[in-house]
Amino acid sequence: MMMVILVGVTVLLIAISVAQILKIAELNAISKGSNVYEISDKENKLQGTLMMVFLLFYFGFFAWQYYKWGDLMLPVSASEHGVGIDKLMNITWLLIIPVFIITHILLFWFAYKYAYKKNNKAEYFSHSNKLELIWTLVPSLALTVLILYGLNNWNKIMTPVNPEEEHVLLEVVGQQFSWGARYAGKDGKLGRAHVNYIEGTNFMGIDASDKNADDDVVVKGEFHIPVNVPVQFVFRSNDIIHSAYMPHFRAQMNCVPGMKTQFNFVPTITTKEMKKITNNENFEYILLCNKICGAAHYNMQMNIVVESKEDYEKWLASQKTFKENI
Amino acid sequence: MSTHHHHDQDFLFKYVFSTDHKMISKQFLITGFIMGFIGMIMSTLFRLQLGWPGESFWIIDKLLGSWAENGVMAPDKYLALVTMHGTIMVFFLLTAGLSGTFSNLLIPLQIGARDMASGFLNMLSYWFFFLSSVIMLISLGVEGGAASAGWTIYPPLSALPQAIPGSGLGMTLWLISMAIFIVSSLLGSLNYIVTILNLRTKGMSMTRMPLTIWAFFLTAIIGVVSFPVLLSAALLLIFDRSFGTSFYLSDIYIGGQVLEHTGGSPILFEHLFWFLGHPEVYIVLLPALGITSEIISTMSRKPIFGYRAMIGSMLAIAFLSTIVWGHHMFVTGMNPFLGAVFTFTTLLIAIPSAVKVFNYLTTLWKGNIKFSPATLFSIGLVSTFISGGLTGLILGDSALDINVHDTYFVVGHFHIVMGLSAIFGMFAGVYHWFPKLFGRMMNNRLGSIHFWVTIVCAYGVFFPMHFLGLAGVPRRYYTNSEFPLFDNLMDINVLISMFAIAIAFGQLLFLYNFVYSALRGPKAPQNPWESNSLEWTTPVEHIHGNWYGDIPEVHRWPYDYSKVDKNGEYIGGKDFIPQTTPLFENETEEAH
Amino acid sequence: MTTITLQDNILSKDEIRKKTAKPLLWIGIVSIVMFFGGWTSAVIVSKGASSNWLNINLPISFTISTIIIILSSLSFHYGLIAIKNNKTSQLKWSVIITLLLGLGFVLSQYLGWKELYQNGVFATGSKSTSASSFIYLITVFHVLHLLAGIISLIIVGSKSFLEKYSSQNTLGVELSVIYWHFLGGLWIYLFLFLKYIA
Repeated sequence: MMMVILVGVTVLLIAISVAQILKIAELNAISKGSNVYEISDKENKLQGTLMMVFLLFYFGFFAWQYYKWGDLMLPVSASEHGVGIDKLMNITWLLIIPVFIITHILLFWFAYKYAYKKNNKAEYFSHSNKLELIWTLVPSLALTVLILYGLNNWNKIMTPVNPEEEHVLLEVVGQQFSWGARYAGKDGKLGRAHVNYIEGTNFMGIDASDKNADDDVVVKGEFHIPVNVPVQFVFRSNDIIHSAYMPHFRAQMNCVPGMKTQFNFVPTITTKEMKKITNNENFEYILLCNKICGAAHYNMQMNIVVESKEDYEKWLASQKTFKENI
Repeated sequence: MSTHHHHDQDFLFKYVFSTDHKMISKQFLITGFIMGFIGMIMSTLFRLQLGWPGESFWIIDKLLGSWAENGVMAPDKYLALVTMHGTIMVFFLLTAGLSGTFSNLLIPLQIGARDMASGFLNMLSYWFFFLSSVIMLISLGVEGGAASAGWTIYPPLSALPQAIPGSGLGMTLWLISMAIFIVSSLLGSLNYIVTILNLRTKGMSMTRMPLTIWAFFLTAIIGVVSFPVLLSAALLLIFDRSFGTSFYLSDIYIGGQVLEHTGGSPILFEHLFWFLGHPEVYIVLLPALGITSEIISTMSRKPIFGYRAMIGSMLAIAFLSTIVWGHHMFVTGMNPFLGAVFTFTTLLIAIPSAVKVFNYLTTLWKGNIKFSPATLFSIGLVSTFISGGLTGLILGDSALDINVHDTYFVVGHFHIVMGLSAIFGMFAGVYHWFPKLFGRMMNNRLGSIHFWVTIVCAYGVFFPMHFLGLAGVPRRYYTNSEFPLFDNLMDINVLISMFAIAIAFGQLLFLYNFVYSALRGPKAPQNPWESNSLEWTTPVEHIHGNWYGDIPEVHRWPYDYSKVDKNGEYIGGKDFIPQTTPLFENETEEAH
Repeated sequence: MTTITLQDNILSKDEIRKKTAKPLLWIGIVSIVMFFGGWTSAVIVSKGASSNWLNINLPISFTISTIIIILSSLSFHYGLIAIKNNKTSQLKWSVIITLLLGLGFVLSQYLGWKELYQNGVFATGSKSTSASSFIYLITVFHVLHLLAGIISLIIVGSKSFLEKYSSQNTLGVELSVIYWHFLGGLWIYLFLFLKYIA
């Protein structure tokens, strides 16, 4: 770390000496009678050229990052709706990146090409209804496509699972600084819960007098879900706002105290398969907190295991129900 | 000649309790920059932690003291630094520092007024700002530390000291400081609006005003409409924190007990906060865009392209900014239909923004561009506005937002589009109007080095953040090292931190140039950039009332650069025609 | 919009004040409207989010307050018309009556809060809900804004006794009247809002 400080001090010293040299040059110029505020042709040319150099640097930096880190991004979506999100994302990129490149080329190229020359005359061109109409309409059309496609996706994602359909009902509760999950059990119903019932190991505040709660299964540390079966999540928080973020499933929802929120998705890739896809033996799906929630916000995690339906049922049967626990 | 006599004022009233808009402008500028430097140092410190988590730093040990045992900052103090960095940069540097400086300096000078509508309210505005800055800085030193709930101070985290130590006295001071800040901002805005509407000189119709004035005007209107709502939100939070009400709180179990609060909703706070919070983005951005419009036109010796379209797009942005706040809340469990509405309004903002960008490009096209540092920063602003704005299309789309919400993607996006654009606009403004502020010139060469260091390092800091976000890294994490998932992203963080350190040192160039030039720089000529607007007709030294004798009359719009007659000769013989020049024979006013 | 220029092109503080005082006040009023607008929208959002929103019957005092504040607006406006016709003594009477009515409004509001409290509607504490807190908060902050109005009334009153106003110089009275009417309008809005929407 001394390194950084050393580098810093060096930069500082260089800055000071540059400033001094410039000062001398400025005084020199003044003594020769030239106007310091006037920007010389040489200077204009230099800055114009630097504009092109910067353009190359900027694009080069962009390409370098993509080349170097492109593989480190999230792997293929492990949920059904996530594939749609990724597709929408790629379409948006296909629109954004060309605009980014073209506008930047124009910007820096104009700056380079039209750098000040004494004998040049700028063109007095103050408006053109045609041009302005074009760049109002073209973005509008592109946006219409994005909006329609985006909202189509959004509505699909936000539609809750049909209760008649086979699904897993899973409640996730956030608290400082850990997660808990509760399965509805055989009856498919979550028992009543409220912070008033929190006591001892019953950190979720489940009401023991509610019959629906008897077969509920509460887990910490990790939860399992079956592949290709819709999972209906219900989120709660005991204390402050948390956000349940499951990046591999392209899923996120805030957990708000005093309120229930929901999200659902269909996992499509088991943990085992994902280990192969990512070529990483230690890969685990993860649930993390994505809303500032206190000192240990950075370490609030729960593992998610996606497995075949049989494995999932076996695992669930091995867990103790709420009633057995008390 | 003038019947007005320039009388001597004693020190206290000249420099401290001044009601002169030019002095108040300098006061805003210097206070804003001091706050900005503090905010920047904070960011450098937490970048050290993020780049090299858990390592001990001598500088952190010295600067943070009890916040960092053995030179390693504590996790909750990391959040305090992040919160204060955000608050200071957004409100104190880019709202008060930017708007306060240039609205105060330029509104009377560019519309031809002796001073603001009310010098007294104007002075009050500055001193409220000063007071709120002092309180905000004091809050750094109180027990429990400064506010740590993020600059958005969402309750319940911000409401409960049990949740994080910074939500004790630190948060109380934060709220008091912000309440005073809001009053300051409102007093300023009142003055700006009324001055622009009522005190324009003869001939200065609304459509002959420089775009800077239009930008300040609309900014002030947005401020008057949205800041009071933040005040009402903050008051409810104060009541919840100190007087036992339950506006935002409900069903909370914390510190081993259930709190008494029932029936409130934290989501209510988010609605109220973002009703200000999103317009706030444009309160920060519009002045920078106005400044850029003026500078790009002047320095490329060309009229701004599409003057009316520029005004129209600013109006559209100002209007739309008040109906898009919901896009900060796509994942709060809001009604999906509302989410769809907010997606629609949000993406609409891209249209006026695109118009602005293309108009800038066309203004540069076939220009004759003089590269002062102000020009460089203005071009830099156009670049950051494009780079950051485009990723807004991803965040504004509710479906895509789900997976990048609150990740580093967001951090990269808003730092580029709002932070960099606004600060580039501010730097451009300072370099351009420094002669007007201090009567001296800044060093151009040093200024251009400052620009190149800043833009390279700034992209070096914020561009890689998009990659972190796409890899799923959440923002406001003390360290990423707790997740094996993020292990191989460590290199990115190191790179970002190195650029962050470099950019901080780069700003020393500016600091040196600023201080040295203000004291010892070469004397400024009357109109160094050969500009058309009215402020360059005032004497170089500051006088009360701005003009000796009558206020000049205005005969044309401010963008008559390189106007030629039929033979291709410059009308008036030069490549610029000041607004005070009457129309020449055979010349028609441009139907812009 | 036409351009307004200063008659006195040199520097006249009075001239500037005459041109800008009213717009300053109007825009200040806009920000106060947004401030209360924030709270009344907050009530709607809270009500929408809450499963057991408390419907509170407003005390009769609030209705009386409404009548009082309308009367006070009328009496103050009468004073403005009087001074425009140079009838200074009528202005004095009008200000005194308005001031008394204003104080009456504050008293009536106080009685209203007392009645609410006795009916078990609490501002804070474990028995309070957002609904009850909002009623107190909104009405109390309206009274705080009204106190500023009362201060301006006292200033206008003392200046009228010092014979500072005439038909040529009515700006101070006009400003005070505009603000006072605004407070009345604001109260009527808040009253109807609390009665029928909250």
